Amino acid sequence: MMDWTSYRLQDYVPFTEQVYLRLMERMGETFWPLHLVMLALGGAALVLVLKARPRVALVLMVPAWLFVAMAFFLQRYAQLNWAGHYIGYAFGVQGALLLLIALSGRGLNHRHAGQRTAVVVGVVLGLFGLIGLPLITVLGDASWYQAQVFGIHPDPTAMVSLGVVVLGLWGPARWFAAMVPVIWLVVSGLTLLALHWPAAPTLTGGPFPG
Amino acid sequence: MNNRLTRRQTLQLMGATLAAVSLPSGRLFAAADSLLEKPLPGSGEKLPVIGMGTWRTFNVGGDPQLLAARADVVREFFRLGGGLVDSSPMYGSAPDVMGHALEQQGRPESLFAAEKVWSPAGGSAREQVADLEGRWGIPRFELVQVHNLTDWRDHLAALQEMKAQGRIRHVGITTSHGRRHREFERIMASEDLDFIQLTYNIADRDVEQRLLPLARERGIAVIANRPYGGGRLIKGLQRRGEPVPSWAREAFDCRTWADFLLKFIVSHPAITCAIPATTRVEHMTENMQAGRGPMPSAETRQRMVRFIESL
Repeated sequence: MMDWTSYRLQDYVPFTEQVYLRLMERMGETFWPLHLVMLALGGAALVLVLKARPRVALVLMVPAWLFVAMAFFLQRYAQLNWAGHYIGYAFGVQGALLLLIALSGRGLNHRHAGQRTAVVVGVVLGLFGLIGLPLITVLGDASWYQAQVFGIHPDPTAMVSLGVVVLGLWGPARWFAAMVPVIWLVVSGLTLLALHWPAAPTLTGGPFPG
Repeated sequence: MNNRLTRRQTLQLMGATLAAVSLPSGRLFAAADSLLEKPLPGSGEKLPVIGMGTWRTFNVGGDPQLLAARADVVREFFRLGGGLVDSSPMYGSAPDVMGHALEQQGRPESLFAAEKVWSPAGGSAREQVADLEGRWGIPRFELVQVHNLTDWRDHLAALQEMKAQGRIRHVGITTSHGRRHREFERIMASEDLDFIQLTYNIADRDVEQRLLPLARERGIAVIANRPYGGGRLIKGLQRRGEPVPSWAREAFDCRTWADFLLKFIVSHPAITCAIPATTRVEHMTENMQAGRGPMPSAETRQRMVRFIESL
């Protein structure tokens, strides 16, 4: 019987920050200039949901989730972490869920009247995911290819989607559609914490981790 | 100013270049002493006291740039006489990366391949071992251990059977971070083990009380993991910016903090080898250097502990 509680946060992250950053970079190198298409999709989704057209906005999110599920998690991250397959499946399910909500029309929020806080939160999340996250990476002395981009990397994909979900859905649909993005952002935050990123002294070099 | 070389200078330069090219780079680092080896209890076989761990450091997936860098680390390890390499199915792609490195350079004579079985990886012990052999690209492992005691009864029974059939050579159990030491001790006392692996370093010496004496009594080889405390110990010492104490240099020719930390571990009579992990060739060179030359005496070891505790 495994005693999971005896493990520390670092024990759940079986790679170094160098490998994590290279993973981001390889995604960037391999799929450029798909970034531009994905950014256009994310931007269009944000605009459409602000114009009270949540159905199309949700549909535009779907390819981003499916691509990240396949190209990031199943094909790459799963090589590094045995849990990667399960996260990839969860991203795939999230894409299917957004499509299902869009097709069924249940929980779609066509009016933003009287929802000032939700609008502000949604717009801030969406813009931060689309523009803020890539800029933070690049300004932090990283290469352009390491910039995390919506539809290519999981963090901005989750963040922009969360913004769209907050703006475009209400009731149980909003909660269901927010679950995977929120859980992933928590997992990603803990991963970065465990890697001591970005403040680690071993960011670019090899430590003596043993 | 005349920048042209004289004939004498040209000849000197050519001679120096030829000498530099023909000199194996290890000579620049290696002392005259050979790498210390310790006998495996109950057999005439010997194992170099510095091995290599792969947790986190060798989990690089299919990244060609990092695969090449790790292959260089492995090449350096064997060039300097290394033997035991330890990995686990829990370490992501580390077994594949070892396979890639061995494919690049061939399988060295001195390789002592150590793996683990780990329940969450799925499949029986036999299936896991067969899968790992394929990933390393080797016909059999010298040692297979039960990782962190997961389902140890079933796994150990299967591994003993495989050992009896000659499928593997040695069996063992592992723990780390001081987990489940009481259960570990009970298994050591009751089961027929060739190896145990546990955490032992100058700041984490809990195992000195019961587990290491029991290992000596039972004739079990001991692998020390986390020799640098997960990197915290050596980085902490290096960050102070001070050289190793002069008394350590005089007592056992200690030149670096890697020397200080690793020699402390492998000089314990119960420890067979330590398995530091690294991603860099120069760190591997330093690690391997610690397995050479004089080792600290029992008195010096006490002084080393007092020194660390005083910081």
